[in-house]
Amino acid sequence: MTTRTTLSVLLLGAGLLLAGRTLIAHHAFGAEFDPNAPIRLQGKVVRLEWVNPHTWIHIETVKDGKPEVWMIEGGTPNTLLRRGVTRETVKVGTEVIVDGYQTKDHSLKRANGRDVTFTDGRKLFMGSSGTGAPKDGRDPGEAPKKPGGR
Amino acid sequence: MAFTQRSGIKVLAGAVAAAGLASLALVTLQGQAPAGIAKPWTMPRTADGKPDLQGTWSNATITPLERPQGVSNLVLSEAEAAKMEKATADRVERLNQDSDPNRPAPPQGGDGSTGAAGNVGGYNNFWLDPGERVAVVDGQFRSSLIIDPPDGRLPATTPEARARTQARLKMMAGRGQYDHPEFRPLAERCLLSFGPTTPLIPNYFYNNNLQIVQTPDHVMILMEMVHDARIVRIGGTHVPKHIRPWMGDSIGHWEGDTLVVDTTNFPLQQPFRGSAENLHVIERFRRVDANTINYRFTVEDPTTFARPFTGEIPFRATDELIYEYACHEGNYALSNVLSGARNEEKRLGTKK
Amino acid sequence: MIGSKAVREISVAVITAAVVAIGLWSAMPATGQSARPARLADGRPNLNGIWQALNTANYDVRSHSAKAALAFRPGPVVPVPAAPVIAFGAIGAVPGGVGVVEGDEIPYLPEAAKKQQENQEDWLNRDPEIKCYLPGVPRANYLPHPFQILHSDKAIFFSYEFAGAVRNIYLKDPGEAPVDSWMGQSAGKWEGDTLVVTVTGMNDQTWFDRAGNHHSEQMKVVERYTPQGPDHLWYEATIEDPGTFSRPWKIRMPLYRHINPNARLNQFKCVEFVEELLYGKFRKTAQ
Repeated sequence: MTTRTTLSVLLLGAGLLLAGRTLIAHHAFGAEFDPNAPIRLQGKVVRLEWVNPHTWIHIETVKDGKPEVWMIEGGTPNTLLRRGVTRETVKVGTEVIVDGYQTKDHSLKRANGRDVTFTDGRKLFMGSSGTGAPKDGRDPGEAPKKPGGR
Repeated sequence: MAFTQRSGIKVLAGAVAAAGLASLALVTLQGQAPAGIAKPWTMPRTADGKPDLQGTWSNATITPLERPQGVSNLVLSEAEAAKMEKATADRVERLNQDSDPNRPAPPQGGDGSTGAAGNVGGYNNFWLDPGERVAVVDGQFRSSLIIDPPDGRLPATTPEARARTQARLKMMAGRGQYDHPEFRPLAERCLLSFGPTTPLIPNYFYNNNLQIVQTPDHVMILMEMVHDARIVRIGGTHVPKHIRPWMGDSIGHWEGDTLVVDTTNFPLQQPFRGSAENLHVIERFRRVDANTINYRFTVEDPTTFARPFTGEIPFRATDELIYEYACHEGNYALSNVLSGARNEEKRLGTKK
Repeated sequence: MIGSKAVREISVAVITAAVVAIGLWSAMPATGQSARPARLADGRPNLNGIWQALNTANYDVRSHSAKAALAFRPGPVVPVPAAPVIAFGAIGAVPGGVGVVEGDEIPYLPEAAKKQQENQEDWLNRDPEIKCYLPGVPRANYLPHPFQILHSDKAIFFSYEFAGAVRNIYLKDPGEAPVDSWMGQSAGKWEGDTLVVTVTGMNDQTWFDRAGNHHSEQMKVVERYTPQGPDHLWYEATIEDPGTFSRPWKIRMPLYRHINPNARLNQFKCVEFVEELLYGKFRKTAQ
């Protein structure tokens, strides 16, 4: 490898060191959203993008009498799909409340879904039982099995 | 380590293999036998007599990679393990409670959340699926995945490795981590997942699922994220040094009933704890019952780590499906991060 | 008229030839790390291997003449390569091909036919292959990149070199796909020696080729993989999409197995290669 190649290779990913990243380099919410731009929105779901790495919930709100569509970032849909959630679970037109922070790019109407709920406060995508039922099929009221799943 | 060596097993005829398959499926779906009624278990085998590692497995666990400070033993008591699992379950229950519909916007200046949540509160806990169970290996509840060094923590790095890190930091002087896509983590660029795929350490967030398909010549390990299929060439030799695929280059062989996979040729761009050029990972897959593969990995790189380290992770059979994780195609996040940095520089008039 | 004795002789000759052919197939010289059996222990034809199409279907699934480029502008005399592709010269030109569509016609509904034209004219902005997006089915099978089939008694799995796309072929139908995906949901079963795969749940984002041939999210693809000897598969795909086409239509082509013993998939994680294209405008500095 030439010296220049070595240098350029060393530079790649070197930004990680500045960010102080450890082994588990999860998506950097702090890199995308602006802690100085909090938002609270209430509106109707107009579109659900069931995509990775993040689901995007499009919400139409009203601002100064005019409709405004915001994109709200969620998590991976795969987790929800395994819990029985489908594209039918939250229908277009559902009213939701979102609090979060706008993207650092203020030209975009996008925010993180810090907390996304129905209008009665229930979390948007609960497990099908609604109480975070364990995935091993055990009834939530049943006494826990031995730890480790054995 | 208690497992029987089975040499000289006759190759099963097709019909017998099919019957074995059917009974295996029954055992897997029924789950564990009630205590005291031991179901005799025989190793399921492929037509060429090798242990059958195929299926969908989860490596999710609440046992951390490194032993927490203040915990000296590798093995936890049942009570300690139960306590850990209850704490996790309680936390999930708490975070699933209803919110106040009249809640205001979160605080100006950030909500104080740390780690991945990045002072903006991340997103709801229902998106996560980090695991619910303490890792059990050979009947032991484990306090860490790392078993060697004996303190369960990563070994020290070498002076050479520290010098390399310093050199990189120096080169980044005057540059920002949001200046170019190449400075972002591979996961944010959708090039690889945010946990390593070699070795197969869980990421403690979600989608900790893998599928194994096995033929006499190849073993394919699919990680759900980022639809990464690692194809191990059984009896193969490594590719030339200048060829460095993102997950490294894997070759394998059988030692009795254990599949041994040897991986080198890792890319230089995202080191594993500082190790890249000379990173060498040895993985051992051993099926121990109907629902479990014991996975053991050793990482060595004398130019980075003062000594090799070894970990053990139970892979648990699951009948859940792996879904497509098409990351790049929906990657609004990367463009948001980069355009956000540019927008912020303009708004705040920052030079850097 | 052929007499009955002659018929018997011809029949015997045909059967003998078939037996010899099968014998040859089973006795093929060793390739890869071990001798490649013609069938797995469960009797299914062995689909293991690295496969690739040898045609120009990825340029245009219909028959087509060679042309100067994939993107044009109206020139002073004839259309000429558009500015972004001029520098490629002959490397950017499109080779001719016989086409893989039965009947050489794609039965578009009128609106969909218009959209195909628009796709082709706006190719640089619209072709998902350019952005290294997952190619979908059937295009993944005839890209200019090989793919590996891993076939055991329990599973059939396709690993594509292009973008690291993958397809797990469910041997037990998991029911309706809960959301759409780029590569769809594949459910497979055997009909004799033919693997039949039904692909549903694909989104509307993928194309059939670089000519702008497209589909909706209603599309269902039924594939048939029929071995012809150890190194060839006949591949057929029937496309049904009432949102786009007036009737089902079919493509058909051979797939060739790489017989070089050192054949392996090489990584083509093109996501990295398109970062300048997609994110270059967000760089802090161009240099």
